[in-house]
Amino acid sequence: MFSQNAPKREGGGFGDASAAPEVVRRSRYPTRLSVYADPPDLEVSIEEFEAFALDRLQVLRSIEDAQLRAKGEEDIRKRVNEALEKHLPLHTNRSKLPPRQLVAERRKDHVSHFILRLAFSRTEELRGWFLRYECALLKHRFKEADIAEKQELLAAAKLKLEHLSPAARETRLGNASLFYPPQEQLFEVDFERVLDLVSHLQVVLQGGRAFVPQSEVATLLLHEFRQRLTRALAVCAKALPQMGEDERLLPVLQNLSSQTARSEYQSTGAAGAVSADNVDALSSGFPLCMQHLHTQLLKDHHLRHGGRMQFGLFLKGIGLGLQEALVYWRRAFGNMTDDQFQKGYAYNIRHNYGMEGKRADYTPYSCHRIIMSNPPGPGDHHGCPFRHFSTDRLRAALHRDRLTDAEVREIAELAGAGHYQVACTRHLEVKMQHRKAQQQQTSDTETHISSIASPNQFFDLCIGDCKSNGSKQSHDRDVQPVAPTAAASLPPAGLQKGPAYSYS
Amino acid sequence: MTREETAMELDDDETAELSPMTLGVYYRRLFPHNAYYKWLNYNAPATSTEFTHREFSFTINDGIYLRYQSFKDMGEFQRELTRLSPSKIDIGAIFTAVPKHAKSLQPGVFRPVAKELVFDIDMTDYDEVRTCCQGGSICSKCWRLMVIAMHVLDRALREDFGFSQIMWVYSGRRGVHCWVCDERARQLDDAARKAVAGYLSIVRGGAEQGKKVNLSQRYSHHPHIARSIEIIEEYFEDVLLVDQEILLTRERWMKVLAALPDEELRKTLDAQWSRRPDRSSVEKWSEMVDIVEKRASKRGAKFALATFERDMMLQYAYPRLDENVTTHLNHLLKSPFCIHPKTGRVCTPIAHSQFDSFDPFAVPTLSQLLKEISGGNGDPAADKSQEQSQEQSQRSAKSFSSLVGYVDIFETFVASLSPSSNTHTSQSLEF
Repeated sequence: MFSQNAPKREGGGFGDASAAPEVVRRSRYPTRLSVYADPPDLEVSIEEFEAFALDRLQVLRSIEDAQLRAKGEEDIRKRVNEALEKHLPLHTNRSKLPPRQLVAERRKDHVSHFILRLAFSRTEELRGWFLRYECALLKHRFKEADIAEKQELLAAAKLKLEHLSPAARETRLGNASLFYPPQEQLFEVDFERVLDLVSHLQVVLQGGRAFVPQSEVATLLLHEFRQRLTRALAVCAKALPQMGEDERLLPVLQNLSSQTARSEYQSTGAAGAVSADNVDALSSGFPLCMQHLHTQLLKDHHLRHGGRMQFGLFLKGIGLGLQEALVYWRRAFGNMTDDQFQKGYAYNIRHNYGMEGKRADYTPYSCHRIIMSNPPGPGDHHGCPFRHFSTDRLRAALHRDRLTDAEVREIAELAGAGHYQVACTRHLEVKMQHRKAQQQQTSDTETHISSIASPNQFFDLCIGDCKSNGSKQSHDRDVQPVAPTAAASLPPAGLQKGPAYSYS
Repeated sequence: MTREETAMELDDDETAELSPMTLGVYYRRLFPHNAYYKWLNYNAPATSTEFTHREFSFTINDGIYLRYQSFKDMGEFQRELTRLSPSKIDIGAIFTAVPKHAKSLQPGVFRPVAKELVFDIDMTDYDEVRTCCQGGSICSKCWRLMVIAMHVLDRALREDFGFSQIMWVYSGRRGVHCWVCDERARQLDDAARKAVAGYLSIVRGGAEQGKKVNLSQRYSHHPHIARSIEIIEEYFEDVLLVDQEILLTRERWMKVLAALPDEELRKTLDAQWSRRPDRSSVEKWSEMVDIVEKRASKRGAKFALATFERDMMLQYAYPRLDENVTTHLNHLLKSPFCIHPKTGRVCTPIAHSQFDSFDPFAVPTLSQLLKEISGGNGDPAADKSQEQSQEQSQRSAKSFSSLVGYVDIFETFVASLSPSSNTHTSQSLEF
């Protein structure tokens, strides 16, 4: 199907490159898209070095942002395209732009990828972040590309594909053939190469081989890209210490990678020191997910692992210290013996506080993590109500929080449209409005806060609002979940009441 | 048929019999060391890194948890097992270095590289499905849900993934474990394990979600779904409708109706069944299927109605996996042939051909085994003749205790394992 072996720069051949002006064709960048197989061998000035990298970082961050906040696929596509247009445009060979500019754009794309590779190879967490959003970027660009560009990219990736003839399709697949559209081309590969498709049951498997439809060939490309990039990042990580000598680059690299620390919640201790006794009293300021876990804990005198983690770290975040946490959970698990509690649960609580195992000081879960990973299974109560509850249950939960019918409808609609964090934010806004109304304050101004990114942020805003008795500035306070600079506005770590959190 | 009549509590006074002393006798005389070592050494001619770099963890003295135990050969394993007499053995991954030295190695240097692909199915995850028992107890009725689970998963692992070296193990209490030992399975990384677990997890959603299976109509052609439905159909009426009576009371049928995506049908059926609550679950189920089918055939009906019966059969009978056990290379799982600390029963393998006939209540407990070998109705010579070497006494103890059938199953399985083509440390994942 794809001309795998076509020489990359062959003039007059089939493909987008043929449409390129002579200068571009003969340059290092004849094609628009790249799988970044070879490092750049050009000189880069220190200013360019940083500017290129920052622009690419903007794009990757916009993808993360879009995946979290956008309403559906189309909105994500639009947002990512806007970010690309602004920070990292890549024009096609058919565009009438001067060749010099085409080459410059492609060089920037190439160079910036390799700088970030270096900057993000430092820790496993950073590598994971970079890998995730570089793959998302390639996926997006592949989707947007025209047929010729797609073929070039597939050829550049040198994928080995075994094509299934229509006759073989019948004999090998039989009835299962009906799972795919009748005219769709199929490829046969080892299932390990299309894990995304396997995971969602989107391919038929037979003896460890997966039948991949033409429309999903991007998954194969991404798998290959991910494998190679993972290996390359590991190599970079080893090379990084040797760069310690270079005083010009290292600070830039560290600065770059530190800018993704955004999703980590920084404890503000808004509620002051929290003891085991006043958790229940504070629960009115919990976001819906934590209210639910709290209610279930009181009801069942137990929570399963996912719930204990989500709720336990949340409580840690609002300022419940280790000793108080042990008291709180011991009381909550009233149905078991001290012995059972000590053996089965106390270790985990101490672990969360960095007192056991690898002694990492764990931070509360972000909304992103709650929504995207470890979805609740049968009997589990963790997760995001806006994401994991059926509509009926969500409505009932909101009604219990004394919202009006209209408000419940609005929020349920937001959740139904896949806009979970916005729904949660709206929930908080409505709560604040109710409180103001109760205190008979004039609510001529709409309460407006920017999107909730962590259950703890919800709580801080809700409690903060409550404490300030509705003084105006507090609910107009704009929270910046992005904020690489947010750390500066926090009190110095030593003054914080709660435990200090660090991004590690 | 009430709960009292059928539920058999497994928690009897067995726990009293578990002590370092009794466990010591078990590990010395009954534990199948040879086959066990051969299994984890994958029949290699000499002790390989598959065995020496494997993490074991022991629970001793009722609660002290020793991680990162490892052994240089079978002799050391056997000695330490008898010396420590753990109340529980967990098996972990094979690491880049000897796990004993874990503490002195850099985190990046010491990492897991291979492990069997494992699955854990626990009856507590069926609490919203079963009506006979809850929590830790099981009975012969709800055990049949495990039988369905084993059939469904075993065939998917063989036919879809092409694995063949699969061992099923009764956990000793209320569930089953599955160990996929093919080399290809052992080499899977976390992402691949996650994908396999995702493929095999059809029932999704937490306690707050009514309908937990959501697959479009074309999935009826997917071999895994088609085959699973075929297996479940064989059991569904007997196990879910007759034994579990999932539509007997209003409380129960409301759970089923909650998943029905049509308000009007929900109300109709609820009213109909409330008028005649005495009708059996079989009758109610067929009424529901009829009325839903009729509505689904109308123009403009929600597509979810057409697949409602299929989806509900899956929701009630498809295996429910504890995904976390499967998805992490570094996750530990209780070893076969250890004694379940709560029930005193041995964790025994279940032969591939005996899913339906396996009886968890027939599995011997430690105290039963001790009675058998200490004279009682067993070979009297075993304990008395001091001149017999330990090995001989071991062999004879093994040969007449009621554990022997299970050891046979294990030995047959181990003999079928092919030696690794190469040691895991020297090669990368390249497909």
